[in-house]
Amino acid sequence: MDHGEKTILELDRIVKKYRTKTFLFGARGQEVIALNQISIKVTRGEIFGLVGESGSGKTTAGRLIVRLEQPREGKIYLDGHDITSLKAKASKAYSRRVQMIFQDPYQSLNPQFSVFDTISEPLIIHKIGNTKAKEEAVWQAMKSVGLSPPYDFAHRYPHQLSGGQRQRVAIARAMVLNPDFVVADEPTSMLDASMSAQIFNILLEMRKKLNVSVLFITHSLAAARYLCDRIAVIYRGNVVEVGPGDEVIENPKHPYTKALIDALPQFRNSGDKKRYQTLIRAERRVPEHAGCPFFSRCKRADPVKCSREKPPLMRLGDSHWVACFYAEPGIKTSSGDNA
Amino acid sequence: MALLVAENLSVGYQAQKGYLHAVEGVSFSLDAGKSLGFVGESGCGKTTLGMAVMRLLPSNGSIREGRILFDGEDLLQKTDEEMRQVRWQEIAMIFQAAMNALNPVHRIIDQIAEAILTHTPSLDKEEAYEQVRGLFQLVGLPEDRMRDYPHQYSGGMKQRAIIAMALACKPKLIIADEPTTALDVIVQDQILEETKNLQREFGVSIIYISHDISIVADICHDIGVMYAGQLVEYGAREEVFDNPLHPYTKALLSSYPTLTGEKSQLMPIPGEAPNLINPPFGCRFSDRCTEARVSCRSNPPVWLEITPTHKVSCHQCGKHCEK
Repeated sequence: MDHGEKTILELDRIVKKYRTKTFLFGARGQEVIALNQISIKVTRGEIFGLVGESGSGKTTAGRLIVRLEQPREGKIYLDGHDITSLKAKASKAYSRRVQMIFQDPYQSLNPQFSVFDTISEPLIIHKIGNTKAKEEAVWQAMKSVGLSPPYDFAHRYPHQLSGGQRQRVAIARAMVLNPDFVVADEPTSMLDASMSAQIFNILLEMRKKLNVSVLFITHSLAAARYLCDRIAVIYRGNVVEVGPGDEVIENPKHPYTKALIDALPQFRNSGDKKRYQTLIRAERRVPEHAGCPFFSRCKRADPVKCSREKPPLMRLGDSHWVACFYAEPGIKTSSGDNA
Repeated sequence: MALLVAENLSVGYQAQKGYLHAVEGVSFSLDAGKSLGFVGESGCGKTTLGMAVMRLLPSNGSIREGRILFDGEDLLQKTDEEMRQVRWQEIAMIFQAAMNALNPVHRIIDQIAEAILTHTPSLDKEEAYEQVRGLFQLVGLPEDRMRDYPHQYSGGMKQRAIIAMALACKPKLIIADEPTTALDVIVQDQILEETKNLQREFGVSIIYISHDISIVADICHDIGVMYAGQLVEYGAREEVFDNPLHPYTKALLSSYPTLTGEKSQLMPIPGEAPNLINPPFGCRFSDRCTEARVSCRSNPPVWLEITPTHKVSCHQCGKHCEK
């Protein structure tokens, strides 16, 4: 794979497996494949959406990027440098450039740290600036996430904040180091709609001002549509469709993506029937990890071909890739580029 | 005929810092076989409302005012023992994160059978098992998984088991409090479909409580929008969504990202919900409302009937309509 100039982060055929609990007397647990050879490239300044259900491996991908986990196989590159085998010192430098916003702001903040302590901690760890400069950086970060006036919030503790405010503190903590890349793992799944909208707009603002790249992990295609330039749909550890956000949502090719779109409550025209209907009612029982990962639920699947052979990601449009043997390229796309 | 009527219901909690007005002056009515959705952000009192109907408030909570008529009988006048007969038999509730409500050390089949046997002691165990089998088919669970333990189920299956349990005594009303919040979209969709089917088949009424306006819009006939303990807009689904009048309803709708239509800038609602220990005297939304005037803060708004099936509680909406 080439490292295009604009690519900031690349996952190259990453495999991650977990072993379930080992039983007493050494009987070994089963191996679960969390990520199966996934490859993703994120360009500089891009918000890249990783969409999938729980258990699809999307959070694992995020944790691999911030080095909370190590991949079994494959490499991760930041600016073309392999980061899977960094030594301690380089690892620390890396963590300054790549930050994470966690899902649950009720658990990701230390309850004994005031807002100021939380946001200034990364600066202390990385020994950045003197006291004055630190304070200035914290103020700046707080203002940019809408915690203003900062002195009102600086000495509060997490329990004195609402969920939306906590998540904004978490974002400020991630942003205070001025990172190049941020992994946002479902940052709004615990928040109310009006709060989510605030968080979305803060992320968009950040990208505009700081040109930071974001991997936005979500289960909501609607949120991904609003925020993301490109979207990758992930199913049981496999990327099944990648493309520009609008393209993937308006012209989905993979039956799983279509099922996700079908499943969203459509509140403006509730009488409408489902558009795609790509799921079968009862799941097929299939041998482990043979063939297409979506075979067990797919209406369209060929009982022979799809059960034996795993479809690779195939190019359909300019930058639209789909892992399905039966994806039709011919339909005119919204952006006008025919495949 | 209305199955459930709430009149001017006020519920509160005795908190450390004072009395918290969680629900204030809420009135609604639900016909048999229909569904009513309550939507609002966390802390708006929608769960409290459901718990009040079941009379399952925690010990520091109390119903201060109002009546709840179920089938013409006032639930608030019933003794605890009478209420026990109503619960589950007549009104069942699916709680938030209900899948965690299953007992981990009992088989699913026994847990559902227990609910049946408690309320109809005349049955023997085999008959109860037979009913459970029927319920499993109803909610789309495979029969060969009946004898499993909860940990062998996925989240969606547990939720279905809970729905099966709620249906076990053939209640007339189900109160579902965020039943799909913890689930994936595809599973959520399946469960919503299932819920709609059940309603069609058995004519059970449903009160659906959710923070997600799109889900409520998907399955409910009527919708009540709640803010800071009060209903602010109430009416038929189509009217509320096609012609939202209260500024809060409008704001809520425009803060949701959608899959179709124009991709417009999401408009978050600025500020935070008011403290319910000392709620503002005037309109409770006035501090965050873009259309608020001085008069909004000085007087509580009154209900305004737009059509017989759509009403709104807002000072400014009234002015627009008079013009």
